[in-house]
Amino acid sequence: MAHGLTRMLDVKGLSYAYAGAVAVSDVSLTVGPGEIVALLGANGAGKSTTVRMIAGAMTPQGGTIRFGGRDVTRAECHEMVPLGVALCPEGRLIMPQMTVMENLLMGAYTQRDLAKRQETLAEMFAFFPRLAERREQLGGLMSGGEQQMLAIARALMSRPGLLILDEPSLGLAPKLVAELFQLLRKVNEAGTAILLVEQNARQALRISHRAYVLEKGRTVRSDLSSNLIDDDSIRSAFLGV
Amino acid sequence: MKLFVSGRPAWVSIGLTLAGTALFALLPLWLSPYGVRVGQLFVLAAGLAVAWTVLGGFSGYWSFGNAAFVGTGAFTAALLQLALPGWPAGSAFALALVVAMLFNGLLALAIAWPILRLRGIYFAIAMLGVSQVCFELVSNIDALRGALGVNLIDIVPKGVRPERFYYWALLLATLIVVLVAIMVRHSKLGYGLLAIREDEDTARMLGVPTTRYKMIAFVISAMLTAMMGVIYAHNLGYITANSVYRGDFNLNVIVYSLLGGMGTIIGPIVGAGIMTYVTQVLLGDLLDTHMFITGLLIAVLVLAAPNGLYGIYDNHRLRMRRRKQEAQR
Repeated sequence: MAHGLTRMLDVKGLSYAYAGAVAVSDVSLTVGPGEIVALLGANGAGKSTTVRMIAGAMTPQGGTIRFGGRDVTRAECHEMVPLGVALCPEGRLIMPQMTVMENLLMGAYTQRDLAKRQETLAEMFAFFPRLAERREQLGGLMSGGEQQMLAIARALMSRPGLLILDEPSLGLAPKLVAELFQLLRKVNEAGTAILLVEQNARQALRISHRAYVLEKGRTVRSDLSSNLIDDDSIRSAFLGV
Repeated sequence: MKLFVSGRPAWVSIGLTLAGTALFALLPLWLSPYGVRVGQLFVLAAGLAVAWTVLGGFSGYWSFGNAAFVGTGAFTAALLQLALPGWPAGSAFALALVVAMLFNGLLALAIAWPILRLRGIYFAIAMLGVSQVCFELVSNIDALRGALGVNLIDIVPKGVRPERFYYWALLLATLIVVLVAIMVRHSKLGYGLLAIREDEDTARMLGVPTTRYKMIAFVISAMLTAMMGVIYAHNLGYITANSVYRGDFNLNVIVYSLLGGMGTIIGPIVGAGIMTYVTQVLLGDLLDTHMFITGLLIAVLVLAAPNGLYGIYDNHRLRMRRRKQEAQR
């Protein structure tokens, strides 16, 4: 993979503290076009805070974020989505009272052209036939796996160059997790770079090209996923030692 | 009008609104003058409730102080007319209406700037305070004449019965309010507001500029409420702070939505109709107990139908659709 040569996303020295409690103190990472990059770490290592800052949901207190050559450190979500960065947030967070179709269209919210939104919707229904069957159903009435699929499809509706997924396997049955990672690989093969936050390190390392390990808000390790998969330091990171 | 989701619903709603308005416009020809006055109360209530819904119903940010805009709209118009004596009635009214709407839009923006950035319940509480502060200011500053009262210019054309004229004027204003609400509901703004109501954090991550949209909806809601307030003030003819900064406006607009269906446009209209009918006609003779019975009725209805009457209809529709799908299999 294009390791460090072309940098689509370039994050340097990111820091954030919640009312004095440091969550992220020095995180640097890059994602190249077409890559799957995993962001690993124990609970409270600062993974979610990091990706929320990248997506523009939080403003970093230190460090810089560049995307596609532009400085987007202080950009907000409604500016990041049109640039091509979509965050699929932790806990799925679909809109329970909206139908599947409305949920999906909300994903293309920043696309101004109605015809283009409909076109993307049709593509998404072709990619996720199960969502097409349920287009009129309320989002809140779907099963957990379907909701996760909907959340990913919704994030893809903005046609992102970079899809950020925060704990997509959370709360899913093992069989569904395997299906989900298959799906992510398919999304990636269609040309979307993925930044994947996971506690399920084994699965994440299996599909990602590179990975970063966070510990107490710092990047402590970055390597090719194939090098990390049998590494003891991974285990220690997850135990938080 | 730019639709967010393609399809018929917006045009169906607009068609139904126009047909319904035409029907209501003909009613005074049959009703007694008392009936027309009851009709005025209904149309006013419906207009105010739908204006409230543009922010409160769609985005879930409930304002407990929309009377601020009824009162401030009425007084802006009255004081402007007082400052411009000798203008012909038509242009004095038109100018007062436009200025009152703009002024209330700016007032809403000034309130929204600090308050609507906050999430959740703070806005509701703050608006209760705002309506009280507006009332006190207008009552206590002599130049604003809230205690003394102000006369408004008579705008009823010769040969038209005043109660009919104001019925039609309020009906036209309410029609405008409903059409604006329908356009907001089906536009990108409307879907953004619904997403805010569903989950504000997710809405933001999907790229909805949440703070800006809440402000826009609040300004629209305030301007529409002020428009209703100006016509209501002309209907009264002489206003004091007490007669336009009415605390019951604050609560009734919410009750109508609760009763008819929160977040819908037809809901507050149906709710206003039921409440007006019950309080003015059914219980009109029970002056001592009607507030008690009304309160009881609301409590029972909210408990029995937590999503309002529209919620009952919606459930029924979903059940019918499911039955049909099962029959097809």
